[in-house]
Amino acid sequence: MSNVNAVTFTIVVVLFLVVTLTGFAAARWRRAEDMLHLNEWGLGGRGFGTFIAWFLLGGDLYTAYTFIAVPAAMFGAGAVTGYFAVAYTIIVFPIALIFLPRLWSIARVHHYVTPADFIRGRYGSRGLSLALMVYPHAVTGVLSTKRRDIIKRNMALLPIYSIMLGFIALLGYVALTDKVTAANVKKAGNAQLAVPYLFQHLFPSWFTGIAFSAIVIGALVPAAIMAIAAANLFTRNIFKEFFKPDASPRLQTRVSQWVSLIVKVGALLFAITLPKTFSINLQLLGGIWILQTFPSIVFGLFTRWFHRYALLAGWLAGMIFGTVAAYNVSTPTTSHWAGSVDTVFGHTVYIGLTAIVLNVAVTVILTLVLRVARVPAGTDETARPQYTADPVDTPAPAPAAAVLGSEVSGGDLPSRLAFAACLRGLPSRLAFAACLRGLPSRLAFAACLRGLP
Amino acid sequence: MTQPSATPKTPGGSRSPVAAHPVTSAVIAILILASIFFAVWVPLYASTTPKIGDFPFFYAYLLIYMPVLGIVMWIAITLQGKLRPGPGAKHSSAASDGEVAR
Repeated sequence: MSNVNAVTFTIVVVLFLVVTLTGFAAARWRRAEDMLHLNEWGLGGRGFGTFIAWFLLGGDLYTAYTFIAVPAAMFGAGAVTGYFAVAYTIIVFPIALIFLPRLWSIARVHHYVTPADFIRGRYGSRGLSLALMVYPHAVTGVLSTKRRDIIKRNMALLPIYSIMLGFIALLGYVALTDKVTAANVKKAGNAQLAVPYLFQHLFPSWFTGIAFSAIVIGALVPAAIMAIAAANLFTRNIFKEFFKPDASPRLQTRVSQWVSLIVKVGALLFAITLPKTFSINLQLLGGIWILQTFPSIVFGLFTRWFHRYALLAGWLAGMIFGTVAAYNVSTPTTSHWAGSVDTVFGHTVYIGLTAIVLNVAVTVILTLVLRVARVPAGTDETARPQYTADPVDTPAPAPAAAVLGSEVSGGDLPSRLAFAACLRGLPSRLAFAACLRGLPSRLAFAACLRGLP
Repeated sequence: MTQPSATPKTPGGSRSPVAAHPVTSAVIAILILASIFFAVWVPLYASTTPKIGDFPFFYAYLLIYMPVLGIVMWIAITLQGKLRPGPGAKHSSAASDGEVAR
């Protein structure tokens, strides 16, 4: 186990280079309408179709963690800690189907790039939007899709990956049954090595190389999306909000690109220099923290009943409780941060769950109080039909072009037609105008005709 | 952040898609809730028997659940598409009252 297998290593390096170079080539593959625009750089021009989105979201959800940590948990502790990931990926899709299409629609109509943008627009509250700095980066992949039904379709297609996840999880048991692998892992004292050792022992070195590359490359996609998500968040909700409200799209993109690079370097330093337990603790806390944004975002997609300050207070309560409770979890070998479950009324419960129950309770009670006290609820820039809007096949109108009046009356570019995308099936059959940018004018015209009565 | 034009308030009295198709809406809700419930309610499947092949029931259940979930989600999405005519206006020339922004 100590010396590196030359064949395996060469294959890993070569495949990694191939993927990296493909990435650079792909950047020139499709000419962006305006590369220096946050929509383009941060969300792929909001133009991904079902097929690409399937890979993007799949690569985003099933990471190197899936290949390594899930079988490791099966190997070390069994189905309760390992196979639960399979059950989790079952419930995540129906739940997401309930609210993600709404998030997509409202983000498209208002050009929101981050969930905090949505919160800012929905509740007119900087404070609440700042509170939501932590969010599931999968949202970034969702917002980069072209049409509303692509999100929905992917909720039916993504479970296909989970079948694979089930089998990968079972590799942990295979490693346990394979005597040589099991002995090697025990000697190394690290269950995370279960799958790598299993592959090394069972397969020829060339195949092991392919398997290892898959793990390494599998870590690239989520890392890239996380960095972009963090960079967008900084640019939109900190830089533009507090430092330079008049930042041009070009400047926003530049800032975002630099921040993304800084995030990556920072993450590398974090991984190399800090003790391993730090990142595990952060991972544990991250789950609890992200869950606390659920009421503001998901409730907010359906109702404006909750008061913005109540949501903020509920979030704060959940965050404090969750963090303190996680800190206090101990085992005989670890004094703090030993796990993410707690005992409530004699039951073992995930701390995040207890925290969110507290969060919601505080939010509901304070909303009632604040409503009675008639505390201003803030302005809501969204309208109900926009939550089900689906601008047909139109490329995302870039914020710069969104000022329809000037854009159209200016008419400097023939291809920049505006046409009414019909919001079909809405009670009042509203239409809202979307800008067609950069498309051949004939196509724009055809789309225009379809939209007409 | 600019407001999209032409987004007047929904006139009261017009029916929402849910109110217009109560049965379809109920079926969609049941499909989604059921697909969550049958995974969350672990005692339903936390057993070794009946074995399916060499797989204890617990493992086989969740493995089979995945493709079933995909199909159920697909049905729910297709039904949702029927609530309003098509996922977007592109397939039919059916008129809407949208005016061209000019």
